[in-house]
Amino acid sequence: MYAQISRRQFLARGGKAALGVGLAGSLLAGCGSGGGGSGQVTYWSNLTGSGPQDYFKKNIVKPFEKANKGTDLKVSFQPPDQMDRLVRTALQGGEGPDIIMTPGPAYAQEYIDANLFAELDDYSDQYKWDDKLLGRALDLGRYEDKLYAIPYQLQTMLLYYNKTLFEDKGMQPPKNRDELESMAEELQGQGITPFAAGIGDDPAAIEWFPTVFWNHYSGPDALYQALTGEIPFSDPVFVEAIELFNNYVQKGWFGGSREKFFSNGFDALHADLGDGKAGMNIEGSWFLADINDFIADSGDEWDWAPLPPLRSGVPAELYELGIGSTLSVNRRAGDADGAAAFIDYLTANKKRAAEWMAAVPSAFNAPLPFTESDFPASMDQRVARQLAALSEATGKGNFGYTAGTFWPSKSDVYIQEESQKVLTGDITAAEFCQGLDEQFTTDRKEGAVPKIIKPGGA
Amino acid sequence: MEQGAVEETGGPTKRSPAGGLRRRRHLTAWLFMVPMVVINVLVILGPSVATIYFSFTEWSGIGPAEFVGLQNYRDLLADGDFWIAMWHNVVWTILFLTVPIAMGLLGAFLLSQIKRFQMFFRIAYFIPFVVASVVNCALWQNILDPERGIGSTLASIGIPFLDGVSFFGNTRLALPSVAFVNNWAWWGFVLLLFLTALQSVDHELYEAARIDGAGRWQQFLNVTLPGIRPTFIFVVLLTIINSLLVFDYVFIVTRGGPAGASEVVGTLMWKQAFERFEAGYASAMGLSLSFVSGVIVLIFIFLRRRGWEVRISPRGAAKGANPQRYRTTSSSLSWRSSPSGRSWLSCSTRSSRAPR
Repeated sequence: MYAQISRRQFLARGGKAALGVGLAGSLLAGCGSGGGGSGQVTYWSNLTGSGPQDYFKKNIVKPFEKANKGTDLKVSFQPPDQMDRLVRTALQGGEGPDIIMTPGPAYAQEYIDANLFAELDDYSDQYKWDDKLLGRALDLGRYEDKLYAIPYQLQTMLLYYNKTLFEDKGMQPPKNRDELESMAEELQGQGITPFAAGIGDDPAAIEWFPTVFWNHYSGPDALYQALTGEIPFSDPVFVEAIELFNNYVQKGWFGGSREKFFSNGFDALHADLGDGKAGMNIEGSWFLADINDFIADSGDEWDWAPLPPLRSGVPAELYELGIGSTLSVNRRAGDADGAAAFIDYLTANKKRAAEWMAAVPSAFNAPLPFTESDFPASMDQRVARQLAALSEATGKGNFGYTAGTFWPSKSDVYIQEESQKVLTGDITAAEFCQGLDEQFTTDRKEGAVPKIIKPGGA
Repeated sequence: MEQGAVEETGGPTKRSPAGGLRRRRHLTAWLFMVPMVVINVLVILGPSVATIYFSFTEWSGIGPAEFVGLQNYRDLLADGDFWIAMWHNVVWTILFLTVPIAMGLLGAFLLSQIKRFQMFFRIAYFIPFVVASVVNCALWQNILDPERGIGSTLASIGIPFLDGVSFFGNTRLALPSVAFVNNWAWWGFVLLLFLTALQSVDHELYEAARIDGAGRWQQFLNVTLPGIRPTFIFVVLLTIINSLLVFDYVFIVTRGGPAGASEVVGTLMWKQAFERFEAGYASAMGLSLSFVSGVIVLIFIFLRRRGWEVRISPRGAAKGANPQRYRTTSSSLSWRSSPSGRSWLSCSTRSSRAPR
């Protein structure tokens, strides 16, 4: 059934095959080995969708290469939720891109501890980043007074609402807790879900809610004290915030019911906001990129407002500061100068960044001191207003803290996992906060807490 | 078999050339196996050894690993989340040892009785198995959506009992609901395995059983089940191992939620490694799971070597027929008929030798 071959023939053919495999391996290794000092810079981007990716290649990569003769920027796109795992795996094998993107300062710190990032202070002087970038944001990339990472893709939490529905009901976005609760009761009484919400697609998204309740109930000053170890997370001011969140969920204000809150996917909850089945939605500013897709079909209008204070003494216009990613130079980069040049190109030019931010909302949010007039007239004015508001608030120190940015990864995962148990009644809010305090204390002792920038009022 | 035949025909005078040929063939066979061995060493043995090492370390996945001895295993024993997840694996195993196997057996038996459209049903039942788990999950997430799924559709035509039921958001329903989705894809595969096994059972045995007055149920218990015994054991073993290692369906549909209600060891391990960045602890968790799987496989091997085989006793199924006569007649009919018949008969023959 098979053609018999002699041992000599077999060895000859086997040798050729082995040579072929070896040669192919060498060639492949050559393809993947990065620049090696030849002026090639590798960058892994977290952009998704052909639109943003094509825009990035055409409007950012090519102009950069044109402006920096001799630098060959090789970009590959990685899924955002897998990026950190992929980068870790690559670095572990001695590979990885020249420009390393992490999901935030807490993650960047682990890489710095492992001595994987190059210091950027010389580049900061060269490109005058201290003068150009928001000082408080830039501070998040400093460790032991040395700059290692540039915060990028700034985000915050917002209150989105169906403007058409609100106008029909004669409502305005809530300014305080009383207004919020009376609106929620009224909407629910009319068969409308007060807040479109759900974590079915990504249970980790539950962290948005402790983030919001701690910032707008407990307040940024209390959070600053807890994050710097001055007060424990078991303090009643944090427990009460979680109890309030739990109370709202049990009432069915978030997603319609507790079970639906656990199972609703993003498309479904966004569609509910779009077609007026839900009145409001608490979500990050990244939703600005997609919101029109969900509103367009119904013909309704949307808008956003800052989340209201839920307790007296908390600032009225407060934006949680979130860092979607950080950019650093791989210590092993063959062309570190080229890598730093691209980071500068991507983050530090206000005019360019404003154009990109107008073209692809939330993808290129640079830590720059924007005002509304900095953005092109073609930009959706609601998006421009949000970017300017966040930039202004950050500059003034009127900001709060997002769990994904300022809590160490283990504490953050604790929040994501254990806060669900508060909603199911497996543990109390006090037990949850006590557990968080224990985890956070451990993280702090291990030096895993990122730099905590001080809010204006603290 | 061919090789054996060559060896048997070789006489003493031809020993030397035959031995040379045999050695060359052995060498050729080994050389052909070398690439596989090398690949296996690289992608299985190497990472396995590394995993064993990292299970004794504290390691975040980057940077140096710190040796901590047995600390990860001690932590594992005291980790309530791990034991809850392990219990969910046990529940999952029980579900998959019963529901899909019962469905597969029944479906295969019924399908074996029909001639027309059999291929259509075989393909229809098998399709979910070859569809990507992500697609299956998305499909059922839509079907079981409390707002837009089957519950609300039924409610709109006056059948409200599923209206608003959140299958994946309810802590009591989440695990069985995900198991249901996985089962939808899995049982068709089990059915095909059983159907293939059924088709190799000697038809003379059924005839003999019918002559002896055995009904359909008695035929199923006394002919079908013993006839497919090797396949049955294989399916059970496969089910247990798959259930212990289950990951994809749970991860895609609920990620172990809500509040850990559907967490299995696979998803917990993933979270430890890639969310909490405790790769050393995750390695210990993975090895523990492999250990449990390995013990189960060893138990099966041990029992098989000891001659233990799954056998459904005809005792309880012999109402209306003479079981003793049936067994004896059947064995005498098909002793030399087919390998599968022999497999059954070895069991029957032993039974017939039992004290009367």
